[in-house]
Formats: sequence, C-alpha cells, structure tokens
Amino acid sequence: MTGPVGILLRTILLGVVTGSVYALASTGLVLTYKASGVLNFGYGAVAMFTAFVHWQLAAGWGLPVWLSAMIVVLVVAPLLGLLLDTHLFSRIQSQPMVIAVIATVGLTVLLQGIVFLVWGAESHRVPSMFPRAAVPLPGGAAIGADQVAIFVVAAGAAGLLAAMFRFTRLGVSFRAVVDNRPVAGLMGIDTGRVSGVAWALGTSFAALTGILLTPETLLDPNFLPFLVISNVLGAAIVGYLRSLPLAYAGGLLVGILQSIIIQYGRPQGFLVNLKDAVPFLIVVGAVLAAPKALRLAGLGASFVVRTREVAGAASPRARAPVATAVFGGLALVPLLAAGSPSWVISVTRGMVMGIVFLSLVILTGYSGQISLGHTAFMGISAFTAAHLAADLGVPVGIAAVAGALAAVPAGAAIGAIAVRLHGLFLALMTLGLAYVAQTMFFDNTSISRGLSGFPLPRPPGTSGDRPFFYIVLLALAAAALLASNLRTGRTGRVLAAMRDSETASRALGINVFKYKVVIFALSALMAGAGAILASMQTGTIGQRDFYPFLSLFLVTIAVVGGIFHVGGAIVSGMLFGLYPQVFGNVEIMGRLQYLLFGMGATLALARNPEGLFGELRRAGVALLAATARRRRPRAGPVPVAGGRE
Amino acid sequence: MNALEAREITVRFGGLVAVSDATVEVPATGFTGLIGPNGAGKTTLFNVVGGFLAPERGRVLLGGRDVTRTAPAGRAKLGLGRTFQRLELFGRMSVFDNLLVAAEAGASRLGLAADLLNLPVRRSEERRCARIALDMLDSLDLGWARDRRASDLPVGTARILELGRALCRNPSMLLLDEPSSGLDSAETEVLAGLLRRINAERGVSILLVEHDMDLVMDVCRDIYVLDFGRMIARGAPAQVKADPAVRAAYLGEEDDAAPAAPAGS
Ligand SMILES: Nc1ncnc2c1ncn2[C@@H]1O[C@H](COP(=O)(O)OP(=O)(O)O)[C@@H](O)[C@H]1O
Ligand SMILES: [Mg+2]
Repeated sequence: MTGPVGILLRTILLGVVTGSVYALASTGLVLTYKASGVLNFGYGAVAMFTAFVHWQLAAGWGLPVWLSAMIVVLVVAPLLGLLLDTHLFSRIQSQPMVIAVIATVGLTVLLQGIVFLVWGAESHRVPSMFPRAAVPLPGGAAIGADQVAIFVVAAGAAGLLAAMFRFTRLGVSFRAVVDNRPVAGLMGIDTGRVSGVAWALGTSFAALTGILLTPETLLDPNFLPFLVISNVLGAAIVGYLRSLPLAYAGGLLVGILQSIIIQYGRPQGFLVNLKDAVPFLIVVGAVLAAPKALRLAGLGASFVVRTREVAGAASPRARAPVATAVFGGLALVPLLAAGSPSWVISVTRGMVMGIVFLSLVILTGYSGQISLGHTAFMGISAFTAAHLAADLGVPVGIAAVAGALAAVPAGAAIGAIAVRLHGLFLALMTLGLAYVAQTMFFDNTSISRGLSGFPLPRPPGTSGDRPFFYIVLLALAAAALLASNLRTGRTGRVLAAMRDSETASRALGINVFKYKVVIFALSALMAGAGAILASMQTGTIGQRDFYPFLSLFLVTIAVVGGIFHVGGAIVSGMLFGLYPQVFGNVEIMGRLQYLLFGMGATLALARNPEGLFGELRRAGVALLAATARRRRPRAGPVPVAGGRE
Repeated sequence: MNALEAREITVRFGGLVAVSDATVEVPATGFTGLIGPNGAGKTTLFNVVGGFLAPERGRVLLGGRDVTRTAPAGRAKLGLGRTFQRLELFGRMSVFDNLLVAAEAGASRLGLAADLLNLPVRRSEERRCARIALDMLDSLDLGWARDRRASDLPVGTARILELGRALCRNPSMLLLDEPSSGLDSAETEVLAGLLRRINAERGVSILLVEHDMDLVMDVCRDIYVLDFGRMIARGAPAQVKADPAVRAAYLGEEDDAAPAAPAGS
C-alpha cells in the first residue's frame, strides 16, 4: 500500500520529470530569444512538426526509435533552425517587435499547415525510446523507468549546453551575445553566426521536447503546439526571458505545480482546469510583478510598426466613393448570387469576420498595441448573449447588444493593464488571458455547455440567410464608419501620437490611461459583436469556438489582408469567409489554408506591411492614373486619387 | 509669484545621487538658465519638474500650487510645456498633425462620443484647432514642411517643430532641454531669435538647459549651475562666469576651463 508520503514524493518526482522537459524547451526558447532577439511564439509548432518527422521515421518507416530520435534532434532540427534563421528571422531582425511576433505566429500557422497537408489532422501515439519497468521509491510508491530516462536525457541536454557555454570558444562568444547583443556586435563578435547556432540549438531542444513528450501526450497537431508553448512561456517568464538558469527553474516549477494539481485536484473539475491555466497564471503574475523599468521597456522591444505611410491617410474625397462602391457592391451580392445561397452565406461570414478584423485594425494598426487574446473577448460576448437569451429569456436583439457590451469591461481592464505593459509583455499577457479564459471558463461546461454548443438564434425576422445578410452588412458598415471616424478624428490622432511617443503625449497633457482603456474597450466591443454575429450565423456556440489559437490565426490573416486600414479588415474578412467557398471542393486547398496564410503573413510581412489591401490600393491608384492620362493626354501630371505621397 | 519652484529636490538612481537637494525658482516672465557639465543632473531635474520621475525628496510648485504628486498630463494642463533633449516627435505623423494634436490637447472641447460619431461639433472644433496649428506653422516658417513626415525632418527643423508643438498647447512655463543640440551656428542663431520672440510675444517663462554658453549668457538674466547633482552657483551671467566653483566644475570638460565656450553635450 502506498502511503501519503510516497504519493507526495511520486507526485513531485513526476512533476520534476515533465518539468525538466519544459525546462529544456524553455531554455531553448530563451537562448534563441537572447541570441537573435526573436521570441518564437511558434516554438510549440516547431516541436510538433519535428515530432511528426520523428513519428514518420520511427512508426512509419520502421527505423529504430532511438536512431530516428538522433536523426531528428541532431540533423533535421538544426537544419530547420538554420533555415528559419537565414530565410526568415534574420531578415526581420531590424523590424519592430510586433512584426517579429506576428511572423512567429505565422510560423505556427505555417508549420501546422504543412503537417495537415502531409500527415493529416489525426493524432498519433509516438513510441517511447525507453523501457517502462517500475522503479520503486521510498514510501512505497513507484515511478516508471522511462520517466527516469526522460529526466536524465532532458537534464543531460541542458547540462551539455551549460558545458558548451563554459568550455568552448563558441561558448564565449555565445555568452557575450546572450548577455548583450549590441555590445557583442561592437566587440567584433559575429552575431549573425551566433544567432544561427542559437536557432539550430533552440530547434534541436524543441525537437527533443516533442520527442520526449509525445509518448505521454498524444502527437496532436492541433493541441501539442499549444501545450508546449503555453507551458514554455510560463517557464521562460520566470527569469523574464533573460536568464537561462531561471528559465530552467521555471520549467521545473510549472511541471511540479501541474503534477500537484493533477494528483490532489482530481475530484474537482475546476482545479483540473486550473492545471492548464498554471503557466499563464504564472505569466500574468510575473508580468504584473515585473520591475517597472523592465515593464516599460517591454523587454527592450519597440512596438511601433514602421510603414512608409503618414498617419493622415487618404483624403476623405477619395475614401467616400470607394466605400460607397464596396458597400454597394456587397449589397448586391444576394441579388447577383440568387442562384447559389452558399455564396451569400460565405460573404456573410466574411463580413462578420470583417468586424472582428476591424477590432484588430483599430488596436494594432491605429494605436500600435497588440493583442494575442481577442478570442477571450469574443467568447465572453458570445456566451453572455447565449446565456441571456437561453436562460433568462431576454429577447435576442437585446441579448446581442448586452453580450457585445459585456466584452467592454474586459477590454477596459486589459487596456488599463496595457498602460503598464509594453511590447512583448503585452503580447504574452493577452495570450495568457485567452488561455485562462479558455481553460477556466469556456472549458467549464456549465458555462459553455460543452462541444456540441448551445443555441443562439438570429433576431426575429432574420432567420433567412438574405435578411441576415443585410443585418450583417449594416453592422459592418456601422463598424467601418466608426473605425474610419476614429482614425480621421481627434481620437485617432491622439492614438497615433501615443503610439509614436507616449512620453511626448503625456507632456502635452494627453491622458494616456484613458485612451488605452478606450481603444481596448472599443476593440473588445467590436470583436464581441463580431463573435455574436458569427454565432448567430451558425446558430450555436461550442466550447472550442473561441480557442486561443483562433486569436493567433486572426492576427495572421489581419496582417495578410492589411492591418492599417479599414479596407484591409474587409479584405481579411473576405479572405477568411470566401476561402472555403472558393476552394471548398478542392481538398488539397482546404489543407493548404493555414500554410498559405502562414506564408503570406511571415514572408510578405517584411516586404509589405500594408498587406493585400496596400497592393490593391496601389493597383487601383495606378489604374486611375492610367485612365486619367488616356483621357487627357496633354493635361500634365495627374493628381493621384487619395494622393498622400 | 514664481511660475515654477522646485524645492530641495533629491533623486537617486540606485547608489547614484543624480540630483541632490537642488532648488530652482523661475519667475513668471523672461529666461532662466540651467547649466552644468554633462551628467550633472539637468535632464533628471526636468523630469522631476515634468512629473516623469518621482523625487526621493523635495517639492515642485507650479504657479504656487504643489504638483509634486500630479501626473505629467495634469501638469501640462496647469500650463507646463517641455521639449526633449532626445527628440520625441510623433515620427509617423505629418508636421501639421504634430501641431494639431497638441492644439487639440489644449484647446479642443470635443468629447469622445462626439468625435467617434462625427457629430457636427467635431468639424467646428477641428477647424478651430487647425487654425492654431496653421498659425504656428506660419509663425515658425514651417509651411513648406506641412505634410512631411516628422521623422523625415532634418534635426534643426525637428527641434523647431518640437518647440512649436509645445507652444500649441499654450503653456505659461516652458522647459527647453538643450534646444540647440545638433544645430549648426546659423541655426542656433535663428533659434535664439525665435526664443526671444516667443518669450516677448507670448509672455511665456522659459527655463533653458543649454550647452551653448553663448546662447545662455546671451538670453538669460538668471542662471543656475548644477554640478554632480548639486546647485553650485546662481546669478547673473557675468557673476556665474567669474565664479571659481563654476570654473572648476567645467575644468576637464573644456580646454580653457570656463563656460565661455560650448561645453559639449
Ligand atoms: N534612468 C536613469 N537610471 C540611472 N541613472 C540615470 C538615469 N537617468 C540619468 N541617470 C544618471 O544621472 C546622472 C544625471 O543625468 P542627466 O540628468 O541626464 O544629466 P544632464 O542632463 O545634466 O547631462 C547621470 O550620471 C546619468 O547617468
Ligand atoms: Mg541632459
């Protein structure tokens, strides 16, 4: 019989084992961050991708498991890391942090897209390298030999890294770069080479993480990236992404806390949900407790997006006809597509998402803030509306308005926090809140009623797809008008000013706090309204409808469509809504979706921050100029429509 | 009454005492100078006065009112304006919008809802504030740069724009942190003329931190000298120039050990 002491001992040891894997991953993440300046939100996706390669070699092609692991960790992963460094991240190093963050988010989408394409979306059981014999512990409990082996391998890899730092010449340059990259560069150290090696090492660690974790957890292309990245961010934040030993300790901390919660919290569902929230509770706590200077420096990350554009934007004279044409064209869709209702449905979906993308445009495009947690606002609104309508019998229209408003306090609260958090901290914090919202609330079936979802009917008289189309069109037009007013007016100027220099804004008497609260609240309101309309369209809301990954995917598409302009949000919405319509019958294209958007965001980002909308506008302006020239051949230089440049 | 008083200010960064028991009194009109070698604590003192830095000890009074615990925005509303040693323009905005946003911060009565809903009052308020910004463009001869991106401006123009931006807020007390740094001598000349004009026309009191001694001695009647965080001298230009403590402070900074020539920044 196992006594309580034995159980405690085993619980802690199991926590140390899992923790040491997170610790390994967290060390790899921080190492890469410090050497290259890029915090890889796609780290979990890298672990998932390499684990799939390992699974293919070992389970698919029958290589011995250990040999496959060696090949993946020592050959495939380092090459992948080098590739990422040379072809992607070294190119965006000089870009502001928001670009790098979104690029790594795009990397997640991209790697998932490749996995879906090659291996499909099913999960797999990955064979373990180690024997499963039981090792007895004092106190009567026992622990698997494979657990011991996992700990040894994970700790060994970290130990090798420490030895490399200490005893090799490369290690010396490494330490210099990790301590202070700019200074190391001045001292003549080849920072590019160090960054390449760091990416190779970090990716190796990610691969080993995946290989050690997947015999325990399933190799699930949807779930694994987030399991890894959430736990790893929680671990890495313990040292504020600065210290490798603290990052390692953070991994152990996360592992032990989770193990304790699993062991002792089992009877209560709430506590088990808490386990998944642990890393992000650590993130939120650490971020709020960070020293002020660190917080305001945003981990040294500048967060202003550079574009060639002056914030003043196109003249109202150019904007009005374009807006009229776009919304007029949309209004005609149900008439033109009378024969194919699926088009009406897809365009409706696109417009609904357009409202959500507008919420990102006003937040990131106008005011330079980032949120990787918009699904939290969306879920709060949608579930509130559904509960009001279903449980309290509130009329649907009123429930919808109240639901959208329910996101406002949440948004305002994040805005108030954003006053104290800059750069990466804000990205981490918002992502953390999306996870906390998911695991603590949306996964709580008394709130979400589970995967099958609970109904949210459309307002009376709009149950048909056509009437609903026009409701959505009106909502989108209202949101677009609001966003446009926001941009061109005093509030937009204040937000642009704050984005460029908060210090100078304060010195002019601008209430930075108020405006951050306002912009986050407005953005949450729009996201919430979009989410409610989206749920009305499908008719139900499920527990996983606002999964945090959606936040990342939305930011990615928002960038592809164009995150600086109202028009960009509409382009993004249409990309989102029409993609399945256009490619619905082509299975391969469905699988390519993530890949294409991931590539679009990561690769195009460095070249054209204004996205597809920027391209469209440039083409439109060129076309106008060309026609005008043809009409009046000798009229001299033609004023360009919306001419800013 | 004095426009500004900073009384017995002490600021510590870790072990370093950046400002130690320093007092400055600035009258409601005219120029007051604040000089001292590099690292003496001048910018730190400005940050305390502006509310960007809480002093360990000491009090700040604006127009006789204790603002030691007031946030920077609140002090701006009480009439305090400033420029920055390291330029803090709104780089991605146009020159005109830099001025407009400042004018609106001071003069606009437009509420948030009226702005977002684009109510008629928005247009009239915008016109009113645009007038202020346009007048400022004219009076600073910046009309040619109106639609330029602020980050694209040469440093001389950028400094003038920052000054104009502060003036659009219509301050009664203006802190200028090394406005001539990065300017050549011709530009400095223009700047000096501009400062005098502003001072005369707008009746704004100016506290000037400058490394260009000719400029300071030229415009200021009253000069404070800070060294290693301590106020080591105060007086009229000639008096300060002759002060042995001041000469000693500038020793090692300058060949001829006197604040008669530019003391580097
Ligand atoms: N935020 C800070 N943290 C630590 N030390 C600082 C900080 N700001 C200024 N200092 C130090 O305080 C001293 C005074 O600096 P500063 O006020 O900028 O001098 P000045 O403007 O007279 O050249 C310097 O030694 C400087 O290094
Ligand atoms: Mg200074």
